[in-house]
Amino acid sequence: MPPRLPALTAYCRAAPSYSAPLKALLTPFLQARNASILATLSDTPGAYNKRIRRGRGPSSGKGKTSGRGHKGQKQHGSVPARFQGGQTPQDIVHGKRGFENLFSLEMSPINLNKIQDWIDQGRLDPRKTITVKELVESRCLHGVKDGVKLLARGKEDLKTPINIMVSRASAEAIKTIEDLGGKVVTRYYTKTSIKRLLKGESESTELPLVSNPGAMLSAAEAASTSSPFMYRLPDPTARKDLEYYRDPAHRGYLSHLLAEGQGPSLFFRTPGTTRRKKAKIPGAAQAQKDNRLW
Amino acid sequence: MASKGLQGFSKSLNTLRAFGSSKDPLTQCLAPRLSRSMATETSLPSSLIQGHTVVQNVGTAESEIVPSSVLTTIHKFPTMEPIRFDSYSSKYLYLPLRRDLLHRAVIFEGDATRQGTASTKTRFEVHGSHRKIRPQKGTGKARLGTRQSPMLKGGGKSFGPHPRDFSTELPRKMYDLAWRTALSWRYRKGDLIVCEDGMDIEYPKSRYVKQIFEHNRWGKPDGRSLLITQDFRTNLYQALEDAGDDGRVQQVDDVDVKDLLELGRIIIEKSALDQILREHQSDLITKVRAAV
Repeated sequence: MPPRLPALTAYCRAAPSYSAPLKALLTPFLQARNASILATLSDTPGAYNKRIRRGRGPSSGKGKTSGRGHKGQKQHGSVPARFQGGQTPQDIVHGKRGFENLFSLEMSPINLNKIQDWIDQGRLDPRKTITVKELVESRCLHGVKDGVKLLARGKEDLKTPINIMVSRASAEAIKTIEDLGGKVVTRYYTKTSIKRLLKGESESTELPLVSNPGAMLSAAEAASTSSPFMYRLPDPTARKDLEYYRDPAHRGYLSHLLAEGQGPSLFFRTPGTTRRKKAKIPGAAQAQKDNRLW
Repeated sequence: MASKGLQGFSKSLNTLRAFGSSKDPLTQCLAPRLSRSMATETSLPSSLIQGHTVVQNVGTAESEIVPSSVLTTIHKFPTMEPIRFDSYSSKYLYLPLRRDLLHRAVIFEGDATRQGTASTKTRFEVHGSHRKIRPQKGTGKARLGTRQSPMLKGGGKSFGPHPRDFSTELPRKMYDLAWRTALSWRYRKGDLIVCEDGMDIEYPKSRYVKQIFEHNRWGKPDGRSLLITQDFRTNLYQALEDAGDDGRVQQVDDVDVKDLLELGRIIIEKSALDQILREHQSDLITKVRAAV
């Protein structure tokens, strides 16, 4: 026979009634009702926006003509934005300015203050070289197109010496990093090579493809170079790019190929480096003066 | 005589309510605050603040101390014998009340619950021939086209309802914060009763369960209660089938934020509470990839 219920409940302690014991005391005297919080829930006042219902009476503010005014094409239909009733539109009169250069490179800017912030958060390791791959993986940059340029916004905030390799760097950024004891190297990247770097198909390196551009790789050497990476990083071929990465002021990775005192330009000679072809004949200038006719 | 004295007491309580106070009356001075405190206001000693965070509310003049963790009592079911204490971080069970978050979560759940099956036929869907009913001119009556026109009886409905999806979106972190805010509100009010795992009764008798509810003051006169268990408990669920007046029982996977706010109190298994807190902590866990 199951035990009698009153006896069982006698074993149960009274449930903990933490909520307002004073209320329990005063219940016979006060109209205590258990109101649900669901009845008083509401979003913040700014979340509610008056919905405009046009043509629903005068008190709404948008009745009768519904904000369209009286008669005309604009009440019954629409007029194109740039149309001026037949008069030559302004963008035809004044014309368009400039053009869009399809060959321009889209460099993603990265500033020094953000790098320091990421180092403080532990998302970038200052002991390792910071390359495009590290910047993208730590979400310091959201997607890279043609390259990354290092800029110097918040240069006072940079405290740690860093070793960074990017496409380009501003002079101020280079100076700030080197003053702290860090190192900047700019390297040539193409869109495809960046994609391969991010996928892990290319190894990030500051060495050019061929250390001695004059020599040719022998067949044996080419066969012996085996690496887990499918692709190598390309070197620049265009004059503009070559000149950029040969320039030690840009900390280019090809600047070691320059001879002492040589400028980075492939066309212009550095002043004071070449000798004049014609040797000076002594007395030639005096002879020219004496032989003057008038 | 006694009632007169209590009338004066209730009057003071009413004035207290008028000042918009929402805290426990036991922790407050019952005299209405008509002037500022005469005591010099100063900051709390640093020894007290260790392990707590001092939160400065913009609205109130005082600063509220928020403890870093809070204690809950684990009880035995159904005897309600306290077994032990368990501590939870105040980020789980002592969050401030955010009515706007709770509102958004309840509306989000309600939208998702909507069936969205109301359907009407347009004039193109109403069955019938599309013959012109009467000639355009000559009849002396209004011009009419097809029988399915919305102007006519038996015609289609112009802008009637069509089956659609009413669900809305709410950022996951906001939703998780709303879950924890609801539990925190219950905890602060004292309406969160945590029991041991395996919450069940010996016999599937509804009369027994009703007596338990009456004894513990969990039933209808006290605002009804919600029991939350981890799994299906045969006896408990069967006994509470006819106890809709006094409360209901749900499995933790079927509970919504609205259920947590609806009834008078929550009696929950510890593992169920841990599951809820574990599933709704996305705003506390950072997904940032660390390099160092």
